[in-house]
Amino acid sequence: MTQSDPELVSLNGVGHYFGQRLVFRQVTLGVAPGEVLLVLGPNGAGKSTLLQIIAGLLTPGSGAIDWTLEPGEIGYLGHGTCVYPFLSASENLFFWARMHGMTPAVEDITTVLDRVGLKAAALERAGTFSRGMAQRLSLARVLLLDAKLLLLDEPATGLDTASRSILDQEISQARARGAAVVWVSHDARRDVLLADRVVVLQGKGQAFLGTTTAYQQWWCDA
Amino acid sequence: MKVTPLISILAVAAGFTLVGAHLAIWLHAPVEATMGLVQKIFYLHLPLAWWAMLSFFLVFVGSVGVLFRKTASWDALAGSAAEMGVLFSGLALITGSLWARPIWNVWWTWDPRLTTALIMWFVYTGYLVLRTSPIPHAKRRILCAVLGIVAFVNIPFVFFSTRLWRSIHPSVITSSGGGMEPEMWQAMGISLAGMGLLWLALIILRTRQILIQERLDGLWAARL
Amino acid sequence: MPRLPRFLILAHKDLRLMLGLGLGLVQTVLLGLLIIFVFSLSLPVGETMSGQGAAAIFWLASVFGLVLLFNALYHLEEANGVRLGLLLAPISPTTVFVGKALAGGALLVLAQIFFLIGLVVFLGQSLYGQWLWALGLVLAVDLGLVIMGSLLGALSQGQAARESLLSVILFPLLVPLLLGGVKLGGGLLSGVSIQDETQWMTLIMAFDALFAAVALILFPLVFREG
Repeated sequence: MTQSDPELVSLNGVGHYFGQRLVFRQVTLGVAPGEVLLVLGPNGAGKSTLLQIIAGLLTPGSGAIDWTLEPGEIGYLGHGTCVYPFLSASENLFFWARMHGMTPAVEDITTVLDRVGLKAAALERAGTFSRGMAQRLSLARVLLLDAKLLLLDEPATGLDTASRSILDQEISQARARGAAVVWVSHDARRDVLLADRVVVLQGKGQAFLGTTTAYQQWWCDA
Repeated sequence: MKVTPLISILAVAAGFTLVGAHLAIWLHAPVEATMGLVQKIFYLHLPLAWWAMLSFFLVFVGSVGVLFRKTASWDALAGSAAEMGVLFSGLALITGSLWARPIWNVWWTWDPRLTTALIMWFVYTGYLVLRTSPIPHAKRRILCAVLGIVAFVNIPFVFFSTRLWRSIHPSVITSSGGGMEPEMWQAMGISLAGMGLLWLALIILRTRQILIQERLDGLWAARL
Repeated sequence: MPRLPRFLILAHKDLRLMLGLGLGLVQTVLLGLLIIFVFSLSLPVGETMSGQGAAAIFWLASVFGLVLLFNALYHLEEANGVRLGLLLAPISPTTVFVGKALAGGALLVLAQIFFLIGLVVFLGQSLYGQWLWALGLVLAVDLGLVIMGSLLGALSQGQAARESLLSVILFPLLVPLLLGGVKLGGGLLSGVSIQDETQWMTLIMAFDALFAAVALILFPLVFREG
C-alpha cells in the first residue's frame, strides 16, 4: 500500500440509524488502491450496512463520504449473487459486461469462467447451480467487470475449500493490480492473513482501526 | 412533544360552530321549494367534499415535502391528510347518494364531480393500503410520497375525462346548486366553517398521533 | 456486435426471460382470453355485444395483463439481489425505467393481438377496416399504461401481496386513459370514424406526456429505495 495514492473512498464521522435505532456512529476510515481492509464485528454491528454506505446504496444518517470513483467501478460480492437464475452462466456474464459498457468477446467470457472453474458449466442455467457454484459465478462477474473497489460481504459463504482458495487467489490478484478490497468476514483468524488493515465495528461504533499486526496486538490485549 | 391547547380550542370551536350551523340549516334557511327537506343534506355534503379536496392537496404538499426534506413530520402530514380525505370524501359520497335517491331517483349517476370524487376515493384508499403495508420506514416514506404526487397529478385528468365522457351521454339532470337563497348561503358558510374547524383539529391531532407512534416504535426498536 | 443503448440490452434480456420461460406472457394471454370469454356469457344467445362493451372488456383484459407483466418484469430483478448489480452498474435508473417500459410494452402489444382475436371470436366484433386507427389508439393508450406500469411496478416490487397492491393502486389511476380507450375503441368497433375525436386524443396524449415526465423524475427515487 502506498500512502501517496488518493483514497478511493473516505468516510468521515459516518453514522447510521434504522428508524431511531443507532447502528453505529463516528466511523472514519479511508480505503486506498491496492489495499485489503478487513471489516470485523459481531452480528448486528452494522458491517453490511457499512458496506452498503461505501457502495453508495445507502445514504448515511450523519457524517460525510467521498468517492474518487466513477460509476460502475465498484464491484460487489455478497449474499446476493447478482446472477439471473434463468440465464446461463455465460449469458449472465455477457449481460453484466454490456450493462457496464463493455463488448466482451466469447473468449473473454470463457477465460473468466475458466479462472473460477466453471468453464464446463458455461451454457447451463445459473438456477441449476449449487450455492458454491453460484458464488463462483458471482466471483467471475466481479472479476470480469474489473472493479477498482471490491466490496465483499462474507464472500466465503457456501464455498468449499477449493473455491475458497480461488477466492483468496483472486483477492491477492486484485490487490496486485491496484484494486482496493473491503472485506466483511466472520473468519477473522484465517482472513486476517490476507489483509493489510482491519476495522472492528463493535458497541455501536468503530472499536479499532489499524494494521493487521496492530490488530493482533489489540486482540491479545482485549 | 409539547402539549398545546390548540387542538382542544379548535375542537370546542368546531363543536359550537357546527351547532350554530345546524340551527342555521334548520331554522334560518328556508325549505327548498322543489326538493323539500332532502335538500338539507346538501349543507353537509358540500363542506365534506370541499375539505376532502383540500386534504388531497395536503397529501401532495406533504409528499413534495418528504422528497425535499426527509423529515417525519411531512410524511405524517401526508398520512393524516390522506386519512381525512378518504373519510370526508367517503362521507360526501354517501350523503350525495342519499340525496340523489329521492331527487334523481337513482343511487348513482354519471356526474363528473361525483365520479371524480369516487375515483379519488379509490386512489387515496389505495394510498392508505400502501401506507399500512409492512415496508421499512424510510423506504415506505419515499414510496408513499411518490404515490401522493402521482395521485394528485392524476386528479385533473380524471375530472376532464369524466366530463368529456358525460358530455356525449346526454344527462337527464342539470347541475344542482344554482338559485340558492341568501339565507341558504349563510347556513352553508357556517357549515363550511364548522366542518373546516373540525377537519383542521382532526388533521393536527392525527398528524401528532402518527409522529408519537413513530417515536414509540423507535424507542421500542432502540430497546432491542 | 455494435454497442446497443443499454436500455435495449435490458429490454432484450427481459424479453428473452419472459418469452423463453413463457412466464409472464402465457399467463397474461390466458387471463385476458378468459375475461373476454366470461363476458361473452353476459349476452343472450344470438346477440352481439355493443362496440363500447367490447372495448371496455378489451381494456379490462389489457389492464389485468399490465399488472401481471410488470409484476413479473420487476420480479426478475428480485432474485439473488440482481437489483444491487443494476444499481452499481454505470447506468442511470432511467435506463431501467425505459428498458422495463419497452419490454412491458412489447409484451402487452403481443398479448393484445390475442385479445383482439378473442373479441372477434367470442364477442363477434369487427373493426370495419379501420386497422390503422385502431393501431394508433392502442399504441397511444398503451404508452400511458406502460409508463404507469413501469413506475408503479417498481413501487410495489419486493412487497408481500404485490399483485393485489399493484392492482389496487394502478387501476383507479388509469381511469382517464381507460375512458379514452373505451370511448374511442367503442367507436371503432361500432364502425364509427374517430377522426373528429380530437379532445379524447389530446387527453390521452397529455396523460402520456405528463406522466412520462413525472415518472422520469420520480422513478430514480423508487428504484433506489426498492
